[in-house]
Amino acid sequence: MSEPESIVFVVDDDPSVRSAIKRLIGSMGLQVELFGSAQEFLASKLPNLPSCLVLDIRLPGISGLNLQRQLAHANIQIPIIFITAHGDITMTVRAMKAGAVEFLTKPFRDQDLLDAIQHALERDRNRRQQEAELAVLRDRFDSLSPREREVVALVVSGMLNKQIAAQIGAAENTVKVHRSRAMEKMNATSLADLIKMILRLQVPPIEPVN
Amino acid sequence: MISASAALAGSYDYSEVARSVVIAIVASYAALDLAGRVTAARSRVRFAWLSCGAIAMGIGIWAMHFKGMLAFHLPVPVEYHWPTVLASLLVAVLASAVALYVASRHKMDPVEALTGSILMGAGIAGMHYIGMAAMRLQASTQYSPLLVTCSILLAILFSLIALLMAFDLREETRWSVPRRLGSATVMGVAVSAMHYTGMAAASFIPASPPDLSHAVSIPPVGNSAVVIAALIVLLAAVTTSSVDRRQSEDRLRLVIDTLPAMVWSKSPDGSADFLNQRFREFTGLSVEDGLGWGWMKNAVHPEDRAQEEWRTAFAAGQPFEKEARLRRADGTYRWFLLRAVPQRDEQGRVVKWYGTTTDIDDRKRAEDELRQAQEDLARVTRVVAMGELASAIAHEVNQPLTAIVTNGNFCLRRLDGATWKPDELRAPIEEIVNDGTRASAVISRIRGLLMKESPTRTELDINQIIQEVNILLRNEFTRNRVSLRIELEPDLPRVPGDPVQLQQVLINLIMNAIEASSSTNGTPKILIRSARNRDGVLVQVQDSGPGIEPALVNRIFEPFFTTKPKGIGMGLSISYSIIESHGGQLSLESASQGALFQFTLPANGAGVS
Repeated sequence: MSEPESIVFVVDDDPSVRSAIKRLIGSMGLQVELFGSAQEFLASKLPNLPSCLVLDIRLPGISGLNLQRQLAHANIQIPIIFITAHGDITMTVRAMKAGAVEFLTKPFRDQDLLDAIQHALERDRNRRQQEAELAVLRDRFDSLSPREREVVALVVSGMLNKQIAAQIGAAENTVKVHRSRAMEKMNATSLADLIKMILRLQVPPIEPVN
Repeated sequence: MISASAALAGSYDYSEVARSVVIAIVASYAALDLAGRVTAARSRVRFAWLSCGAIAMGIGIWAMHFKGMLAFHLPVPVEYHWPTVLASLLVAVLASAVALYVASRHKMDPVEALTGSILMGAGIAGMHYIGMAAMRLQASTQYSPLLVTCSILLAILFSLIALLMAFDLREETRWSVPRRLGSATVMGVAVSAMHYTGMAAASFIPASPPDLSHAVSIPPVGNSAVVIAALIVLLAAVTTSSVDRRQSEDRLRLVIDTLPAMVWSKSPDGSADFLNQRFREFTGLSVEDGLGWGWMKNAVHPEDRAQEEWRTAFAAGQPFEKEARLRRADGTYRWFLLRAVPQRDEQGRVVKWYGTTTDIDDRKRAEDELRQAQEDLARVTRVVAMGELASAIAHEVNQPLTAIVTNGNFCLRRLDGATWKPDELRAPIEEIVNDGTRASAVISRIRGLLMKESPTRTELDINQIIQEVNILLRNEFTRNRVSLRIELEPDLPRVPGDPVQLQQVLINLIMNAIEASSSTNGTPKILIRSARNRDGVLVQVQDSGPGIEPALVNRIFEPFFTTKPKGIGMGLSISYSIIESHGGQLSLESASQGALFQFTLPANGAGVS
């Protein structure tokens, strides 16, 4: 079996519901994994793939809303689609505020669930991609020497080479060398590109000293 | 035996005799009066009254006796040995003290009465014969043993009568001048009778002149002086007693009028003869408006008058309590608790009622509010419980439904697809069937749960059920000011049924009726009828509400159908099922000019559960 492109987790205490949902989602060619309780889900190892969680609210042991909270605490950012047989407004509001993708009342329209799953997977995929990009940038930034990082920080804060040289007590040419090397290491094609990268990395800016 | 002819012939001055009898009566009156005072007083005051009373009474009795002796004239001069006279006075005072002591005790048993009267009688007889022994004359005194015994017995008897009378009359509440005068006359005459018997027991035989040391002769002036002095002493005693009585009455009245309570007394039938100031101030009634049955007419709330009930309570003669609203001077009514205790005479007849009236309005209001709060809470709890149940049912049923819908959708998607094999639809369709079965099992489980308490069927009297429900809903009727009419046909056949379920139906119908009637202007009117019908009984509940719109008439028994903003639409639907399970029929007979609901119940046990 080839490595799946994405995976849908389903947590529901009712085996019939689990089985039917698996069949429906499976028919869309998605990988599905089933759990009977929140504990089972927490005990499993999550693959590093775009994924989402179809979660029943009323569960034995840890409830759906509780699981959502625990995942958030553990910084597991999996998009959640709630399904419940007896939802009320308070519950819906709480779930959505905590970042749920969708809140569906059983029995739901199949298309609603499938749309929600697509949406959730899309969201997760985007997040993962951004995180991957960020990881690359961070690697590049980590490869800079301390001096180069200092120069980059001052460049980003809008200082001219001459000013930077004065501040760090080096020759203007030395600054130019550091700068071009840093650009190269960061794979930045322009100054604007570099600034964007540093902003994404949220490197603390260095205040120019006058 | 000394022949009578040998004795000196004595004669009586009858006007003097009469005077002595008068003194006896006055002394008796004073004694009765004093007994009352002694009884009413406590501790040192009581001792003072007892001492002074004994002295006054002793002087009175002694004066009578002395007067009686002076009324007796012998042909020889008579002088008196004054120390002996004084001794006789002392004995009279002591005898009086005994009498007052015994008569003023709070209880007098026969032994006490007898001992008291023997002591008192002996004292009086002693006084008499000591007094006679004080006579100094040229004769020796001989006594006839028979008459002496007779006189002593008479003294004891008279003392007994006197004690009983004094004991009976001492309660100042029964005080009346004619009664007391009558008793005093009887006592006075008895005292005199004893005295003159004692006198008759003595005969005087001429003898040598007596030893006249310490003897004095009583001149006519002295004779009168004794009488006048005695009368003054007695008068002083009676006057003091009456002033004291008035003072203590004033004190008592002050206490009763300033007491933070409404106090009254009523005659045996319940008509008031005294209302304290606080009662008059609260009700704003004058004495004339409140006395008799005025308190009822002018102060009691018309709805609480129920004169028969009051009269029965008073006639029963037992202490009782009643709650009633009394009108304050400003016209507002407040709830009061009336407590009454009867005072009885020896025959057990009620002679008077005493009672208090206590303001319980705040308490009553708090009780009402508490009851209301409890009812509200019960209603909320019921709604919450319904909500819980609904949510449990929703959850239990929605699970299989979700699976069914999802599997069904899967099958449809498959069928819509270009290629599908029958085999891949088998599993989901099997699951659909299973979950369908499961859903219906959930439903029957819930039904079973609700029907757990299998309906009890007893032969019941529907009129009794109606009465019970009316008691349960009394508060609702009062709160909504419902004018309720109940027409129950007597001797209805008994119907088999579950009393609780039928109560539930009636409560439903009546609560609906109250709600409907209260939504219109004017007094809400409700009529509850029971009657015989072809095969059992029928019960009708009619209200004065706006009726039911024709468009809705066919839907009112549907579950979840409601016209009330907060209704859940189960009341009539459940009622319908209950009556149906009893083999009867719940129907809306009239929808215009107020709704008329009716249900029938077969009497022949045709009800099926």
